[in-house]
Formats: sequence, C-alpha cells, structure tokens
Amino acid sequence: MSAQKKLGRFISEYAVVIIFTVITVACIKPSGLSLTYIIQEIITRLGRNSFLVLSLLLPIFAGMGLNFGMTLGAMAGQIGLIFAVDWGIAGWQGLVFAVLVGLPVSLLLGWVCGAVMNKAKGREMVTGYILAFFINGIYQFVVLYMMGSVIPLRSAAITLSRGYGVRNTLNLESVRQSLDTLLMLKIGPFMVPGAAFIVIALLCVFIVWFKKTKLGQDMRAVGQDMAVADAAGIPVERTRIVAILISTVLACIGQIIFLQNMGNLATYNAHDQTGFFAVAAILVGGASVTKANIPNVFVGVILLHAMFIVSPLAGQRLFGSAMIGEYFRQFIGYGVIALSLVLYAWRSRKAIDNARAGLRQGAAGSSGASGAVDANNKGAAK
Amino acid sequence: MSAVPASKTRKMVVRGLLLVVYVGLAAFMLLIGRQHTILIDNKSAEDGSYEAIDGILVSVDGKEGAEYYSGDRDKATVQGQSHKIRIEVFSDGTVTEKTFKVPLWEDMTILSVPKLLAGIEPFNEKFVPLTVVLPAEDQQQYTSLPAEEPAAEGVLEELLPVLSQ
Repeated sequence: MSAQKKLGRFISEYAVVIIFTVITVACIKPSGLSLTYIIQEIITRLGRNSFLVLSLLLPIFAGMGLNFGMTLGAMAGQIGLIFAVDWGIAGWQGLVFAVLVGLPVSLLLGWVCGAVMNKAKGREMVTGYILAFFINGIYQFVVLYMMGSVIPLRSAAITLSRGYGVRNTLNLESVRQSLDTLLMLKIGPFMVPGAAFIVIALLCVFIVWFKKTKLGQDMRAVGQDMAVADAAGIPVERTRIVAILISTVLACIGQIIFLQNMGNLATYNAHDQTGFFAVAAILVGGASVTKANIPNVFVGVILLHAMFIVSPLAGQRLFGSAMIGEYFRQFIGYGVIALSLVLYAWRSRKAIDNARAGLRQGAAGSSGASGAVDANNKGAAK
Repeated sequence: MSAVPASKTRKMVVRGLLLVVYVGLAAFMLLIGRQHTILIDNKSAEDGSYEAIDGILVSVDGKEGAEYYSGDRDKATVQGQSHKIRIEVFSDGTVTEKTFKVPLWEDMTILSVPKLLAGIEPFNEKFVPLTVVLPAEDQQQYTSLPAEEPAAEGVLEELLPVLSQ
C-alpha cells in the first residue's frame, strides 16, 4: 500500500479525533486558561463521565451499535438518588443505597430495551433513541404524579408544594462528591478523585475479563454475524438482551457517579443528554458503530471535555460572547455524531464496493484460467 | 406429587439468600448512612431548673467544635444513630463526654447542653417546630384583598357643593 493511501486511510479512520484535537488545541490559547486548570478540569471530568461512556462498550461488542437506550439506566439511577435523598441517607452510603434501589429498576428497563431491540434488529440505535423518549414519558409520570401520592415521600423539601411529585431540582448536598472525596489524592498541583478512578479501573478490568468469558465471546460472535452465531448454537437474542442489561445497569451506576459529582439533580431532564454526550465522547475517541475499545473511551472523554472547557471562553474572547462557545459545544456534540455516522456509512459502502470488485476480479480471473485449461485440453486432444 | 430436583432447590435457596443479602445491604446503608440534624441548645429552662452556660466548646463525633455562649443555639449534622458529644467549659476547663442515640426516623433532634451538664435525662428530644395558626380574620387579611368599602353616606353630598364652585 502506498504512503498516500496509508495516510488517506489513517485520516478517514481517525477524522473525528484529528478534527477534535486540532479544534481543541487551537482554542486553548484564545481561551486564556492555564494548562494546569485545563488538566485539573479534565481529571475531574474523567472521574465524572468515564463510567457512563464505558457502559456503551458491551452493546458495541454485541453488534448493537451505540446504545442510546442507556438513558433508561440513567433514569433508574436518578430514581435511586431521589429515594436516597428522600430517606436522608448521606455520604457514600447514600450512593450505595441509590445503586441498590436503582439496580432492579435498571434491570427491568434493560430487559424491556433488549427485548424491543431484538424486534428491531439492524435498527437498534434509532430504536434505543425513541425508546428513551417513550420511557421518559413513564418516568415523568411516575416522578411527577405517583411519587408523593402512590409512592410515599417523606421529605417535604423534595416534594412539590401541591403535596405530590418531586421538585424540578434536587439538592444532592447530602451525597455531593462523596465518592470523589472518599480518597482525594494530591498529585503535584492536581487533585485526583482516587475512589472514582478505582471504580472506573475496576469496571475496565471487568470489561477486559468479560470479553474473555464464554458470554463475552458469544457477544463478539453475535456482533460479527448473527446468523453464523445462531448456527453455532449461541442464543443470539438472549446474548443481545444480556449486553443491553449490563449496559443499562452500568449506565445507572454511571449516572449516580455523574450526579454525585455535580451536586444537584435536574429531576426531569438530567438524563436527556446523558446518552447523547456519552455517544459523542466515545465517537470522538475514535470508536465507530461497530468497533470500540477502552482507550477510545478515555481519549474521547479527554478530547470532548477539553473542548467543552476551552470553547466557551475562546468564544467569548474571539467573538465577544460566551454563548458562541455554548452553541459551539452543542453544534460539535451533534456534529461529531453525524460525522461519525456518515463516515461509518461511507466506509461500509466502500468496503462492500471493494468486496464486489474483488469478487468480479476473482470471477474474471478464474473464467480466464478455465478458458486456458479448456484450450490446453483441446490442444492435448489434438 | 413429583419431588423438586435438588439442583433446583439449591438454586432457589441461593437466590433467596442473595435477595436477603441485597435487602440487608440496603437496610445496613440506611442504618449507617441516615443523616440527622442535631440542634445544640444552650438556653436556660423557663422554670429555672437549669441555667445556660456562658462559654463552652461543643463538638459532635470528633468534628470541629463550635463556641456557644448563653442563649446560643446552633446545629450539627451527623450520620448514624450513636454519637458522642464533647463539651469543654471555658470557665473551669472541665471536659464532659457523653454518648447519645438518635432514633432512625428522627430527622431533627434538640440537645440541651445545660441539661446534659446538670445530669437531667433525657437531654435530647425530638424537635417539633412551632406551627403558628393565624386567626380566621388574619388569614382573611392575607388571602384576599379587602372588599371595596362603600362611600360614607352624606360625604358626597357635602363635597358636591365644594366641587361645583
């Protein structure tokens, strides 16, 4: 392969990463932020977001694309946190309690999501996206009407003044940064939330281990070809449901980690953008709809959030308005998803075309060879 | 009646145990993580049975202490049910340490330091905020605008000649 072709292939494969790196590096200077500040912010955001983004990996292994249905897990996590706050459970104990409450809910929602996706094979991403809207309606109904009326709430501080329903914004002061501060390490000028990183590292170890298990291998087989996996005796639908179940449960825990770092919960829309930003992060990290790994997650979170940190200030300095940076953030988030999907479609089509061309050449070559054999045979007969 | 296979029974037992552990863990988190607000009160009794202390340093569960003078009241936030309070009196330097319990579902408890130092039990009790019920006419005053009063009789007749001049 020529050097030019190699370069072209590299650029097409890592287009999103390259674009992001260039934009982010270009924005650092105009933003006026010190490198120490940017790195500290990235460390904080790595601890906050990595778990959520890691939850996307297993469905990609199982060939189900980017799991926009992870929003369902995020909702389950929020329900857990609502109960932890309502029952006045503070600190890391509150987080564990929220996970324990959210877990059954996320399992149920994950099963529903997996079952629906099995009915929409090949259209999992858009199905997950729309399913999240549907479940969001049920979530709103439960939190706005059933909590405080059918489901008892103890705390008047989180109940709407009408007597039922949860307030629009919950103060998570009781559990705020309780995981981050559990083991805060000072490395040079940086504060590193050690406990959060330990939890993330454990998840990475789990993912590496899981890929080597029978179920993990089945998942990869299903991801490569469902028909072949089915012929090999792998329960395809069950394996796909398990992938979504694990992803939803991880998203539940990830949302709890995310919100404990933020310190407040926008009850009715905190989960809206969860899937969107997680997907954007993993795509920015160089993953695609069919291929992703752990480094993609960390590269993506670092790049996406580095841009989120510098772009508002760069926008303010360059154009006189911080809103430009905010628009830019939204534009880039959606843009990167669109670009990745377009590149994926383009690459898939190109691969199909190349395969067809290869087949045609092979057929032409083999027909030419058979002609020569026939001529030789005829010659020999003479 | 067909007997349930041993493996199935074992599976059910294991699942049951897991469920018990799961619920037990949640209950344990509730027990050790439940947050309570303690109102630390340094006021004299209305009947004079105990007197407020002028100048004490109070800390709960080894946290940073706060100074209290006569008539002061402040709050401390704690987790769990069993707590230790440490009181240092400025005037004579005596230090008193006492352990007390807060019931699980009690959000706010009031702890009287003078009572504790005087050895009066119980020195902590559930805090019930005062609820002020407004009299009916006062409620009327705040919930609706006063009706427009009719003009006093005879005033208009008196004013008309003046206005017409």
